[in-house]
Amino acid sequence: MAEHLVADGRRVGWFFAVLVALVCAWNMRIGNVGWPVVLEVAAVALVILWAPPSVRRAAPVALMLVGLTGILLTLSDKLASVAAQAAPGPRGGFVSAGDVVDGRAEAWHIVLLLQSMALLAAGVWLIWGKDRRLLPVPADPAATLARWARPRTLALLLPVAAATLLLLVDHGGAHPDWAGAALTAGLSLVVAWLFPAVGADLAAVAVIVLALWGTGDATAPPATIGAHNNGFPTVLTIGVDWRMALLGSVEAGAILAFGVWLVPRTIVPHARSVLRPEPDPELAGRVRQLTRTRADAVDTAAAELRRVERDLHDGAQARLVALGMNLRAAERLVATSPEAAIALIAEARQTSSKALTELRDLVRGIYPPVLADRGLADAVRALALDTPLRVETDIDLPGRADAPVESACYFAVAEALANAVKHSGGRVAQIRIRFTPDHPRSRKRPDPVPGLLRIEVTDNGAGGADPARGTGLHGIERRLATFDGILAVSSPPGGPTMIVMEVPCALSSPKTSTS
Amino acid sequence: MRAVIAEDLYLLREGLSRLLEAHDFEIAAAVDTAPGLLAALLEHTPDVAVVDVRLPPTFTDDGLRAALDARRQLPGLPVLVLSQYVEQLYARELLADQAGAVGYLLKDRVFNDDQFVDAIRAVAGGGTVMDSEVVSKLLGRRSRDEPITRLTAREREVLELMAEGRSNSAIAQRLYISEKAVGKHSTNIFAKLDLAPSNDDNRRVLAVLAFLNS
Repeated sequence: MAEHLVADGRRVGWFFAVLVALVCAWNMRIGNVGWPVVLEVAAVALVILWAPPSVRRAAPVALMLVGLTGILLTLSDKLASVAAQAAPGPRGGFVSAGDVVDGRAEAWHIVLLLQSMALLAAGVWLIWGKDRRLLPVPADPAATLARWARPRTLALLLPVAAATLLLLVDHGGAHPDWAGAALTAGLSLVVAWLFPAVGADLAAVAVIVLALWGTGDATAPPATIGAHNNGFPTVLTIGVDWRMALLGSVEAGAILAFGVWLVPRTIVPHARSVLRPEPDPELAGRVRQLTRTRADAVDTAAAELRRVERDLHDGAQARLVALGMNLRAAERLVATSPEAAIALIAEARQTSSKALTELRDLVRGIYPPVLADRGLADAVRALALDTPLRVETDIDLPGRADAPVESACYFAVAEALANAVKHSGGRVAQIRIRFTPDHPRSRKRPDPVPGLLRIEVTDNGAGGADPARGTGLHGIERRLATFDGILAVSSPPGGPTMIVMEVPCALSSPKTSTS
Repeated sequence: MRAVIAEDLYLLREGLSRLLEAHDFEIAAAVDTAPGLLAALLEHTPDVAVVDVRLPPTFTDDGLRAALDARRQLPGLPVLVLSQYVEQLYARELLADQAGAVGYLLKDRVFNDDQFVDAIRAVAGGGTVMDSEVVSKLLGRRSRDEPITRLTAREREVLELMAEGRSNSAIAQRLYISEKAVGKHSTNIFAKLDLAPSNDDNRRVLAVLAFLNS
């Protein structure tokens, strides 16, 4: 497909080269080189010959554009030359005043018109001809247009519009300020490149100003302008008649329409984003916090799953494999050596016991059964019983929190107790859990919750616990943060150590604990 | 001996029934829900009930609650609770009425059918059978506490086996000591735990209780 396109592009390129040669020859013969047209055509030809296939595919469009421009220019110059005959004087345009006077303009205009129509026809043929090879018609033209209407693309209009405007405003075609136009174009290009969004906005403004300026001059009565015409058609510099005004208005109208089309694509969205009221700092902070804690929660959950997978793989799964192998061996030995078979079966039984023990420990680490059965209060009491310290519990919860909150609180207490056992050297720990409905910390939030769960774990050990040092306390903090919970540690050297955790939450269902 | 079985998994329920029947138990009822269990216990007043902790309708501790409920209405009804995991909290709740005749074992103890049936008989006979996991945790955690520190290592071993529901002769066999020595150790244990002299079975229950409630 690509090869095919390249070949086609080359063919079109050669066609252009021949065309340029013919135009040059003709121009020389009539003694007037229409350089702008020659350069235009040559540029298109070069692009088609040397540009990458993707650009070459746009060749038919370029052909049509050149053709249309040529027709427009020729017609407007024709009108201008008519006007020039009425009011002779210096004029720009690509047919000189001399041509106009001696009548060669007529032939010249016909040639240009034919040439332009040929280009247009070639473009149309390439696009809509039976092959449709060079430019697949987009399935969704609006989407294609939207893809091109990006700030960086639109910003490239700025240098063109700004330079044209400068030329128009200054002296029209009579004494064009090329240097100023080039400087303006250069500067605009830099702006457009560095700040595409700003460039696109300015381009929209420039296009609209250009259209309005051009309309104003094009439709102004000849008397007020005299020999100067700074408006559309841009190739004109002398007197205006009604045909001129019509053409200028059409041209200006088209440009104005384009400028208006640009507005909702450039200025409006930017204005909206600039004029939008400052976001509520509290809300913004909350969004940041939620984003962070959500990421933490996802990380933690993923790490947990990996741990479970590893434990299952190395533990119960491996044991079950061993179990199967033992049983198979026993099966084979049962006839020949029953004693050995019995020994293997006994071993298999032990293996299954170990597998069960491992599964039990794993389950306890994921979601302790007593927590599921009885809720946080009894689960913490059970935890206190399993801890090799004297742990006094003072728990008063009028209901059960959501399972994830219960789980986070349970593991937080478990970690705190484990720290007390491992590091504090204390003999007694106390756990106090209370729920305060309507607590200020639970109410003063963008999304208020019914109350605050407060957990205190105190031990009479040596103190000196530093939450920044251990990963355990930090883990609790992150886990609680998912529920907007906080953790505070008070552990002066010499003790006691007190860990306070607060989690805003709701309690549901009546008390189910039996104790 | 008549037994009621409560287990929601069909295979386990059938397996338990067959196991008990093979050891000359008569299955009065085999149920699969907690309400069914309570009804069966009150209707049949069996010699022993073997109950899974986790039963419908809520699949939490329904079985345990139904068993405790039945024991409130029929004090001293022998109940052996089976579970995939053991919690001291539940052990305490079972022992709280101090009537004895309770057991709390991990389900995998069923693998060793002789010991398992012995445990059922011990419970039916009014004894207390706690899973070795409960006992070892208990002894482990009490290491810094008062009463236990007074026991010697051997006395601890004896207490551990006692809590598992073994008879003196079974303990003697297990520890390779004479039954007389076991009796001496238990007397020492009772003394160190300040258990007033009374019927030996009751003191064994109280010895375990003393720990659980200390």
